[in-house]
Amino acid sequence: MMSRDSGASLILSLLISAVLDSDGLSPPGKPRLTSCRSPEKETFTCWWEPGSDGGLPTNYSLFYRKENSDTVYECPDYHTAGRNSCFFSKNDTSIWVNYNITVVATNALGSNFSDPVDVDVVYIVQPHTPENLTVVLEDEDNPFLVVRWEPPRMADTRSGWITLIYQLRVKLEKEEEWEEHFAGQQKQFNIFSLHSGEVYMVQVRCKPDHGFWSEWSATTYVKVPDYISRERSIWILIAVFSTFIFFVFIWTMHINRNSVKHFLLPPVPGPKIKGFDTQLLKSGKSEAVFSALVIQGYPPTSYYDDLLVEYLEVYDNKEQVLMLDRKDLQESLFKSKSSSDTDSGRGSCDSHTLLMEKCVEPKEDQTMMPQVKDSEASRDLVMKNDSNTPESTNVKTKTWPTICSSYHYDQNPCYHSIPEMPRQCHISSNHFASTHQQDYWESPADIYHKKPPSGYRYAQAYSEFNIKGIALKEATFPASKSLEYVEVQHVNQENTLILKPIGQEGPDLFHAACTGHDYSRVNRVVSDNVFLLQRDTSGQCHSDCQEREAPVRSCTQQQPGKPADHLQVPRVQETHLAPNGYVDTATMLSY
Amino acid sequence: MNGNQCIYFCVCVCVSAIQGCGCTLLLWLSLGSLGYPLDCKDDQGSITRCTSISQDKLLDRVIQHAELIYRVSEESCTLFEDMFVPFALHSQRNRGGNMCMTKSFAIPGSKSELQQISDKWLLHSVLMLIQSWIEPMIYLQTTLERYDDAPDALLNKTKWVSDKLLSLEQGVAVLIRKMLDEGVFTSAEFTASLERYDVQLDMPDSVLRDYTLLTCFKKDAHKMETFLKLLKCRQTDKFGCFLF
Repeated sequence: MMSRDSGASLILSLLISAVLDSDGLSPPGKPRLTSCRSPEKETFTCWWEPGSDGGLPTNYSLFYRKENSDTVYECPDYHTAGRNSCFFSKNDTSIWVNYNITVVATNALGSNFSDPVDVDVVYIVQPHTPENLTVVLEDEDNPFLVVRWEPPRMADTRSGWITLIYQLRVKLEKEEEWEEHFAGQQKQFNIFSLHSGEVYMVQVRCKPDHGFWSEWSATTYVKVPDYISRERSIWILIAVFSTFIFFVFIWTMHINRNSVKHFLLPPVPGPKIKGFDTQLLKSGKSEAVFSALVIQGYPPTSYYDDLLVEYLEVYDNKEQVLMLDRKDLQESLFKSKSSSDTDSGRGSCDSHTLLMEKCVEPKEDQTMMPQVKDSEASRDLVMKNDSNTPESTNVKTKTWPTICSSYHYDQNPCYHSIPEMPRQCHISSNHFASTHQQDYWESPADIYHKKPPSGYRYAQAYSEFNIKGIALKEATFPASKSLEYVEVQHVNQENTLILKPIGQEGPDLFHAACTGHDYSRVNRVVSDNVFLLQRDTSGQCHSDCQEREAPVRSCTQQQPGKPADHLQVPRVQETHLAPNGYVDTATMLSY
Repeated sequence: MNGNQCIYFCVCVCVSAIQGCGCTLLLWLSLGSLGYPLDCKDDQGSITRCTSISQDKLLDRVIQHAELIYRVSEESCTLFEDMFVPFALHSQRNRGGNMCMTKSFAIPGSKSELQQISDKWLLHSVLMLIQSWIEPMIYLQTTLERYDDAPDALLNKTKWVSDKLLSLEQGVAVLIRKMLDEGVFTSAEFTASLERYDVQLDMPDSVLRDYTLLTCFKKDAHKMETFLKLLKCRQTDKFGCFLF
């Protein structure tokens, strides 16, 4: 019976539930405790979230159990804190005690328990927001904000029950980002560096040393009046000062713009001769220019002191012009020559003209002509200069150039030839054996060849020098000639050599020209002591043709005259070696 | 000269003997008092071998100590949680609620209750709390070292807390003596016994137990701090403290 009834009720309930299910009714869903909070560590509130109610009116109840106790209590107050909440008053709140809280949802069909939550009031403290937030502007000249507040009313910070720490945030009204400041336990805060004429917003919140932050308090607005901040005035001063400095700097640079330009873009240096000043050259003081080029003390003088006696320096006015290609340099050159007058005989080699003229390779077929003259005769020769140059004045003090310098083609032929002079100039040395001084003659031969004879001038100079025991009587040297062979006629009583050029009279010219070509080429050797010479095709030397090629009569031209000159040449059997080593055919053919 | 030397010798011996007697006497006397090496008396005290500190300043320093201990214990607990405790157990800080050691004395549970407690009781409660945690903290140090990857910060913090507990204990003892004119025994005289904690447990149990220890200590540290702060309030503004 009973079983039948229970079975019937069971079936009935199942049917009803099935019917109800078909309508969507069910036991309530599981509620969930969302949070429990205590504002002052003396009371606390718990909130829950209901689950689905299952379509039926659902009743929620909260049960809790304290630590170390098994007694289950129900929530004392469901209403104070609002819907779905439970408020624990002071009497019901114990701190440092764990609460085990559960919410139960009940409806007609069933109930549902939430998950239990352990709560210790000490750890769930979240105070209210701080109160009485005041912001005051102080110090009009350099204003700053003084922010003050008070703790939330309910929190007992005075007795030390709760220790609160505060935080405030500030922003300009138009900005987005807040600027946060930590204030610790103090209830006042200063804000500096304000923007003038702006509106600021200030908020504050608090937190216990163990717990949650409160909400931000209500915003307080404050307007900062317009003022010139000290910083800005300092910046203005600095800007003005630096502008002033800048202008001074620019002006200084402008004044010295050349040197600035040189500093930034240094000029590319050109080739430079040490001691050579182009400006000085342009200004015309060439003497000063070239004097700077002279290296004093070179060449070394000590070695040749005893060898060199005096030099006869011969230089030509025109030649200098041609060499140096500057007319205006004449004076400077002459002047520079004068400066080298007083040297002990190396003037010719030292002089500037010597760089060009003297030490050039001459033709080897020229011998030097001693041009020693006595004073009067030489003066006549000397005066055949073109121009009125102070050259004549220089004449006296000039020294004779080396005779054999032409044989040497070195850069400083003078010096190299000096020791060798005695050797090669044996003719002269033989003749002037009595002299302790050695004479050096230089051939202006090269000069001769280089210049047209018409324009040829040479300045002849001789020193006070006297060849001992030797004097030449006549200045047989025609001005237009460079050199000729001089024949020693005889030695007179005064121990002077009488020289006579080989081509003396009018035809001397021819001969002078010819003597330049006195040397003939040997064609072939015919017999033992005969060799054939080549015909010289020069028109001037027709006369020579006959004389020379006596054995070979290929030459048809005959001219009278001059052979007599040649025949006057003393007959010598042996070969006459001229100083330059050439065979003197004149002497040979006379045989 | 021999006579003089003999006299000097005798004098030295006598003086040293007297000194020795005096020292032992002092030691015996100090047994009954604090084991504090420097015995600073009050202003009216006879012996002033160190600079005496005022009661208010001492109380402030004690409170600062307690605050610091609490903060460090909170950090240690967080470190331990992050490292070893699974997330599921976080909500159940005290499972069953019985894990913390029950005290031999009743701790007031609310502010109203606390306001009814006398100063004497407050101080003694603090002292007892401190003394109850000295041993467990030492144990916690040793057990934390057994963990494989315990962070050094955690170990350092627990060590620091142990040391600070001892100094806090001494401060409170001085306070008691100053405020209550009582002499108390400090832990220097106790002989620590760690036999209870020598049982090696499995890892999960060990973790749970250590976690419980840390959380319970954190709570008790907060208690100490609160008690001391209340005490300070009473010292400064006795009337205002009871308004709430």
